[in-house]
Amino acid sequence: MSEEKQQVSRRQFLNYTLTGVGGFMAAGLLAPMLRMAIDPVLQPPSEGEFANVGLAVEDITTTPQRVDWQIDQVDGWYKSKPGKTAWVYKDDNGDIIALSPVCTHLGCVVSWEGSESHPNQFFCPCHDGRYTKDGVNVPGTPPLAPLALFEQKVENGMLYLGKAIPREGA
Amino acid sequence: MQWTKKDIQTYLGSKEYIDTAIIPIIPFQLSRESEIGKSTSKREILSIFATEIEKELSGRVLLVPNYYYLEFGDKEAEAKRLNDWTKELFTQPFKHVFILTFDSGWKRHEKELDANLLWLPGFQVEDPNSVETIQMIRGQVADVVELMRSYW
Repeated sequence: MSEEKQQVSRRQFLNYTLTGVGGFMAAGLLAPMLRMAIDPVLQPPSEGEFANVGLAVEDITTTPQRVDWQIDQVDGWYKSKPGKTAWVYKDDNGDIIALSPVCTHLGCVVSWEGSESHPNQFFCPCHDGRYTKDGVNVPGTPPLAPLALFEQKVENGMLYLGKAIPREGA
Repeated sequence: MQWTKKDIQTYLGSKEYIDTAIIPIIPFQLSRESEIGKSTSKREILSIFATEIEKELSGRVLLVPNYYYLEFGDKEAEAKRLNDWTKELFTQPFKHVFILTFDSGWKRHEKELDANLLWLPGFQVEDPNSVETIQMIRGQVADVVELMRSYW
């Protein structure tokens, strides 16, 4: 065994292998972590939470109208298409208002002018809760908070609605 | 309110507001094969129906778990059992108990029932979960809601 012929010493060989294997292990550990850290960036750009409710902006009047639409909901493995509802109208400034119909008292569905004795108000059939046109609860009736307001946007003349944002009690 | 943990907690907290219960009664049978399709589609549509009614009036209505019975069984015995359910509900106290069904056979036993029988003409559809069916059901639900409100 001559020293000159030995290109790689035993010590060097062990060093190389250990660095190589160690590097692989470190990479194996770090890659998933890095992938997870930057995951939001890699998500395909989605519509967000907004859904087309099938109502053209020009068809929205100053009288609230009921719109029903369905959203795709994925809950773990369970996919469903729950129905959603909103009351939509234009206010005096021409801004679109989309109110959730869910009564803030116990969750019944309110309707516009649902009671003949209370025109120009939202009316809850369950316990006679009332809301003014802007969705604010009428004091003295059971509800303690205004109706939730939907996030909204307009694209190509169609109305898109997102999540319903609850509002503080009046 | 549905018969779930979350809803029942709300119910216990606001018992005084919830005075109406709905019992959907659903027939089951395997003996007449030619009518199984009808039986199953009735069950699916009645379930959707009951859930939609509950959604509209959830703050005042408790949707009791489904009551199942043999479609061609002894309706008198079933009526007795249904009255036990109704009695249980009335002592809570619920003021109004509705029995929801598509089975016209119950109409003849209506007098034996302590609860209000809500018989609806059933309809058959190709796909109970299609958009058309759901729209059709929504239209009918509005009428039933109106009917229930007339009892309040």
